[in-house]
Amino acid sequence: MMKDFSTTAPPLEVHDLTVAYDRRPVLYGVDLTVPAGSLTGIIGPNGAGKSTLLKAVLGLLPLSAGWVKIFGGTLAQNARRTGYVPQRESVDWDFPVNVMDVVLMGRYGHLPPGRRPGRADREIARACLDQVQMLPLAKRQIGNLSGGQRQRVFLARALAQESDLYFMDEPFAGVDAATEAAIINLLREMKARGKTVVVVHHDLSTARDYFDRLVLLNMRLVAAGPTAEVFTPELLQKTYGGRLTILSDVVQSLGEEP
Amino acid sequence: MRTGWLAAGLVLLAAAPAEAARIGEMVEWDFGAQAARFFSLQDPSVRYALGGSMLLGLCCGLMGAFLVVRKLALMGDALSHAVLPGVALGFLWGMTKNPAAIFAGAVGAGLLGAVVVQWIRATTKHREDAALGFVLSSFFGVGIVLFTMIQNLPGGAKSGLDGFMFGQAAALGPEDVWLLAGVTVLALGAVGLFYKEYVLTSFDEGFARSLGWPVKLYHYSLMLLLAFAIVSALQAVGVVLVSAMLIIPAAAAFLLTDRMGAMLAWSAGFGMLAGAAGAFFSFTGRSLPTGPFMVLAAAALFVLALLFAPRHGIVGRLWRRRSRAARIRRENTLKAIYHVMEDGGFREEVVAVDGVAARRHETAAGAGREIGELQRAGLATEADGRVAFTPEGRQRACEIVRNHRLWELYLTNAAQLAPDHVHEDAEVIEHVLGDETVRRLERRLNFARRDPHGKLIPGLADLAGGPPPTARVAGFGGKGGAP
Amino acid sequence: MTGFVPAFEWQRVMVQPWTEDFMVSFWIVVMGFFVAATCGLVGTYLLLRRMALVGDAISHSILFGLVVAFMIFRSGGTTVMFVAAVATGLLTVGIIEFIHRQSRVKTDAAICIAFTTLFAAGVVLLSLAEMKGPVHLDAECVLYGEIAFVPLDPAVEIFGLTLGPAPVVRIAGVLVGLLVLVAVFYKELLVTSFDPALARSLGLRTGIWHYGLMAVLSIVIVSVFEAVGAILAVAMLVVPPMFAAQLSDRLPVRFVLVFLHAALSSLLGYQVSVWLNCSPAGAMVVVGALLFLLAWAVMRPRRAVLPDPTVHA
Repeated sequence: MMKDFSTTAPPLEVHDLTVAYDRRPVLYGVDLTVPAGSLTGIIGPNGAGKSTLLKAVLGLLPLSAGWVKIFGGTLAQNARRTGYVPQRESVDWDFPVNVMDVVLMGRYGHLPPGRRPGRADREIARACLDQVQMLPLAKRQIGNLSGGQRQRVFLARALAQESDLYFMDEPFAGVDAATEAAIINLLREMKARGKTVVVVHHDLSTARDYFDRLVLLNMRLVAAGPTAEVFTPELLQKTYGGRLTILSDVVQSLGEEP
Repeated sequence: MRTGWLAAGLVLLAAAPAEAARIGEMVEWDFGAQAARFFSLQDPSVRYALGGSMLLGLCCGLMGAFLVVRKLALMGDALSHAVLPGVALGFLWGMTKNPAAIFAGAVGAGLLGAVVVQWIRATTKHREDAALGFVLSSFFGVGIVLFTMIQNLPGGAKSGLDGFMFGQAAALGPEDVWLLAGVTVLALGAVGLFYKEYVLTSFDEGFARSLGWPVKLYHYSLMLLLAFAIVSALQAVGVVLVSAMLIIPAAAAFLLTDRMGAMLAWSAGFGMLAGAAGAFFSFTGRSLPTGPFMVLAAAALFVLALLFAPRHGIVGRLWRRRSRAARIRRENTLKAIYHVMEDGGFREEVVAVDGVAARRHETAAGAGREIGELQRAGLATEADGRVAFTPEGRQRACEIVRNHRLWELYLTNAAQLAPDHVHEDAEVIEHVLGDETVRRLERRLNFARRDPHGKLIPGLADLAGGPPPTARVAGFGGKGGAP
Repeated sequence: MTGFVPAFEWQRVMVQPWTEDFMVSFWIVVMGFFVAATCGLVGTYLLLRRMALVGDAISHSILFGLVVAFMIFRSGGTTVMFVAAVATGLLTVGIIEFIHRQSRVKTDAAICIAFTTLFAAGVVLLSLAEMKGPVHLDAECVLYGEIAFVPLDPAVEIFGLTLGPAPVVRIAGVLVGLLVLVAVFYKELLVTSFDPALARSLGLRTGIWHYGLMAVLSIVIVSVFEAVGAILAVAMLVVPPMFAAQLSDRLPVRFVLVFLHAALSSLLGYQVSVWLNCSPAGAMVVVGALLFLLAWAVMRPRRAVLPDPTVHA
């Protein structure tokens, strides 16, 4: 009974999500359902709370209100089915690990405490590196990679997690054109294999081509749905046309309360 | 888990004073006499110790304030350890405790330490913490090597260099005090003359550089003053605890004020107070080391500031939180009374306490207590199980209901939230909306009269203290869902 | 000044320690190696987490815990020492976090406040305890340790096998325990240090790993405290990993380099201390720092981005 329920539950369901923390972008009453097998882009202006939404969903930020369900359960229950690609700046690229080590970290969720990655894990990691065309650089220290290469390493790590639902925070930010094309091909391939991918995206001009569903966000949810329905001048105007100044002021004052 | 180790820590803390008290009994016999000697200031050694300690508190407090706002607190720690080899070399100069030679050597070593920190950060991928740790410990290692070599020399054993480790204010001589006074005057002068430069380079280095200021020069001049302060304080506090005299008074001051000038003053004042306290306890406590007592006094001041600072203190914050919770409780009760009146179509000026209790999901006794609070605040009056607003109470109730409904309307109209999402938010926001925001909301919503549930939003006329909007509302009373 | 630096006499510096005084030299060098290796191992993780100065803080505040434990239990047994160390270490970290969270004082200042206050309290309690009678700890030990007295400690025997002086056996045990922990939890320590967000999304409790590391750090520090003192322990925590980081970008290689650095600095440091007739612990630290400078001189950082073979493929 429970199992049956979890397979039919949508990969991501967010209800009335509110995130308020001191003097940073916040979210207000967001309702969102991401259907299985979709490639969803989250778009909105700077400070609209796009990354905040991902972090809140992943439990990296406390929620002020609302709830999040991953495959109908908690994140902890479905940690293995969930992959995360953080923003590139979030880690220390001088860290003494090479490309292979980072990709192998994607396998850690599948290993019990105390077990090191084995031959099978290495094979998977190599296959993932090959998919992002980084296999020749497997032994390179991560500090010696270009921005695009670093992004591909993170993607390979996410692939190695073998999850069903992926969250990616601005994977296209500051990468070269070749990497951008490689990433979008990869995302489409993942979708074709039935994975669900949620991507924070900052470039309005490519959003329409890249994603089959869009979430328009500006502190609150403006619209969510198939790209053809949502990518309209009217809704985009509503998303990008000016901030809800009163809302942001009031929520900010809430964050400052002791 | 946290409570577990906190408890363990408390056990340790509680055990310590018990032991200390027992030891205290042994030394108590001369405490009164010593205290009298201290306060009479007859003894020159007392005068030197007290004067020196207070000067060092002043000087360290000034420098420490800049370290705290620059987030360089641990630079003080690193430099105070890094001066050690310089002290040893200064001693070697003439095999005596010549203050000038020791001063020069220590300042040189301290500056070299500051340079090495910068150098490691610039030419390696190590972070600041590693660079500071390296300078702190390896310079100290050089110092230890030199010290242990000096002890083998004829005359080295009685060099008294151990005093530099933990400090002994009682050993301060007139030269030391003059040195401290000179450094203090220098620090005061530099900070007074270049106040705006030091403040701006501390706050926004990039902007200062864009003005064409020699930012590096200011940084290193501050480091030089810092080295001066550290070296002159060594004799009284010792190597390990100088950093405490730099940082703790300044951190306490940081909690008390939001202005740099005031922070400098508080910090210097706390430093002097801690210095005096340290000298007193060291003198009365039979040649106990001075440094630790100064640091404990400074730490006590910091704890007081942490607890009782008016704006940033823990107690004040808890108090404000409590009084806000009480206000929110009162406002919710007022709102409940309003709702009961509204459900009755505002035909009655008084409502039953039972009705209010049902609204608040409270027991009758609980609602009675809440209404008692309203009475004490002059917002309502109660008699025979029935309650009525005072004019002030009516106004406040109308405001809260208006805030609630305006916010619901704003969220549904402007932010396109579903009507079933807005009530919970409004329950929180209604208590924090200021007048200014309310006016902006009203303008934004074109002075709408109805909330998303169709209920009337109390307007300015109602807030002016007039009668409840009975006549106008009569036709609409009870319509729509729960607010 | 002339008599200050003793002449380098081959017989006295190089031969005598390893013939007449063999046992003394041997145990001092072995102790130095264990101390530097253990500290360097845990210090590698501290540096990766940018927490080197928390090591500084705990190594100072541990004095407070030791004195209080001594006053309560009147003994310096290993268990008492370890419990006191862990309690003080976590107390220090807790105070730092409390100040940081409850006020606007930044972490660096909070670190400074926490450890100097505990250290000062420790010194005061120590002086008070000294009035009552001799205490095993003294001020010099706090500052630079007494590694030279290590060979004088009674030897430990297990199953009729004479292992060596008690402090050496203790630190060897800690080192073995630490190696086991690192081997077993290699991947957890790696991912919580490198990318805490990923670690949490994998279901790891980063807070527990943080406090666990702090507890291990406290045990390491207390085991080396007697030999090298509070401040030189910081050098042992910081310098070997810095040396290793200068020479390699691979974590397992860095561990090997930490051991190499520990061996070189303890052996050479001991020879220098015999030559200069100075504190062995201090000399080991100085040699260790010189080794870092040497590594810096031969391996300037290579940070240039290498050409990308994939882009034009």
